[in-house]
Amino acid sequence: MPTDHANSPGLLTPTRAGRPWGSILLFLGPALGFYLAFIIYPVLVTFYNSLHILRMDLGMTYEFVGLQHFTEVLFEDEVFWRAARNTMTWAVVAPIVDIPLALVLAFVLHSKVPFGRFFRTVWFTPLLMSYPVVGVIWLWVYNYDWGMANLTLRFLGLGEYAQAWLASPTTALPALILVTTWMFAGFNLVVMLAAIHAIPMEYIEAARVDGAGPWHRLFYIIVPLLRPTMVNLAILDVIGKMKQFALVWVMTRGGPMWGTETVATYVIKRAFEWKTLDLGYPSAIAVLWFIIIFGLSVGLTRFLQRREALEF
Amino acid sequence: MRPRLTKAILMVPVLAYTAFSVGPYVWTAMMSLRTTDEIYKNHYGLPIPPHFWKFYTAWTEFGYATYFKNSAIVTVAAVVIITLVGSMAGYGFARRRFAFPLREPLFLLLFLSIMFPPQIMILSLFQILIKYGLFNTLAGLILVYVATELPVTIYLLRAFFAQIPVELEEAARIDGCTDWSMFWRVMFPIARPAVATTMILNFIYFWNEFLYAVVFITKQEVRTLPLAVQFLVSDQFFDIGMLATGLMIATLPVLVMYLFLSEWFVKGMTAGAVKG
Repeated sequence: MPTDHANSPGLLTPTRAGRPWGSILLFLGPALGFYLAFIIYPVLVTFYNSLHILRMDLGMTYEFVGLQHFTEVLFEDEVFWRAARNTMTWAVVAPIVDIPLALVLAFVLHSKVPFGRFFRTVWFTPLLMSYPVVGVIWLWVYNYDWGMANLTLRFLGLGEYAQAWLASPTTALPALILVTTWMFAGFNLVVMLAAIHAIPMEYIEAARVDGAGPWHRLFYIIVPLLRPTMVNLAILDVIGKMKQFALVWVMTRGGPMWGTETVATYVIKRAFEWKTLDLGYPSAIAVLWFIIIFGLSVGLTRFLQRREALEF
Repeated sequence: MRPRLTKAILMVPVLAYTAFSVGPYVWTAMMSLRTTDEIYKNHYGLPIPPHFWKFYTAWTEFGYATYFKNSAIVTVAAVVIITLVGSMAGYGFARRRFAFPLREPLFLLLFLSIMFPPQIMILSLFQILIKYGLFNTLAGLILVYVATELPVTIYLLRAFFAQIPVELEEAARIDGCTDWSMFWRVMFPIARPAVATTMILNFIYFWNEFLYAVVFITKQEVRTLPLAVQFLVSDQFFDIGMLATGLMIATLPVLVMYLFLSEWFVKGMTAGAVKG
């Protein structure tokens, strides 16, 4: 853990002569300006908008409606609930697949496979592409007639499982989840590998001396020590999937039959594609989702870190 | 089991995963050098002979020159601005000398906004950009990009600046350094590795960003590459060959840089995830 000198006193702390306001303004002013103008102010405007009907076609006229949008979202909007369910499914399933996969890949590379560095570098590449690029490539992979997915199945003699993956509401969402797994595997692997390398060799040596075999060392020493890293990666994964927009937008547009609609795509659709021309209602959805994501990230961090504190 | 045998067995999943990981992209790269007619005859044929002219055609006839230029302008401008503004603020937050009331709560808020979902800002930003004539402009996109990546940039750089011992500045101060020359001549050069890390992180993010672009850009001549790809999918869905060429144009700059700086890229893109 590097030392934090942010609060160390010393000659340069403000003296009785007063704070160096000029320098404070110079260093922090531009960033705070950007931050307040393009993040805090818009967030507040969204909260304000969520209590109004805001007609884009009538020159952004405001009509106050109180909490009406919120009751409508929560009690009448079936599409919202469908989108919320899809998003939550994604957020729960993705880490369950991604983290064990990363763990396995990290162990394989850690066991001194030849060209380990090369494989790590290669597996990381999908993350360097934009969602639209990834989306188009995977539209081809999932093509019924000549896509790689069905081709592989037919090659393995599993041709009866070949199908139009993105055309059915039951397979479309899992198909998209696989794409994000493909994208982020290298990322999770790199973080996991760094954590494995950070484990002091003495722990493993001590276990070996005490007679623990390779599997015991793995499950009783290494995996428990990796828990904080896995928790961190899982939280990042959950939060990332709660915001998922671009891949859906490019590959399925939320279809078929709302099968892959996420909250993020629904907000944009309600704002710009449905002919309601009202920015207030999607703002209310955004506010609700903001509160849920925020509560979830603070809650998850607290809960999981407290368990950590109890165990170690 | 003998170690050599174990390694040989381990190579099976490694190679299988590698095929899964790079297969789709290699396939796209091959298609980018073949014409659509050739592709429809055999989707997995080798690019023999390779049609490099397709890149020229995509560049001149399908508008990729414009989209590439737009992406380059937005990415370079946003990276330059955020690097300067972000490192100044990182330094400002890392030293007690620049403390003022409410600075710490403000930093906490800044840190928390790393988790904000973009939807909470995007609709009102749309409204604001229209109001100030920044809708459908690259300038508007640049401003939004800088603002949205500032929290994580400041967070990473503050952590780095805070590790630098104060004694170093005191020595410089005795030699008569002002606050600005202290930052620019002493601290910023020391922080170069951390600055490079955030530059790479932001470069990739800006080059690939899609959500803000899709909402704030509706005119064809200001489209960035990710946006162009999305539109070309619907416009020329059956011209697979040309679309594959476009995908290569959109990804090659990043991949070529990655080829030379892979360690830096890996470090930069995982910087936020590794707890320091």
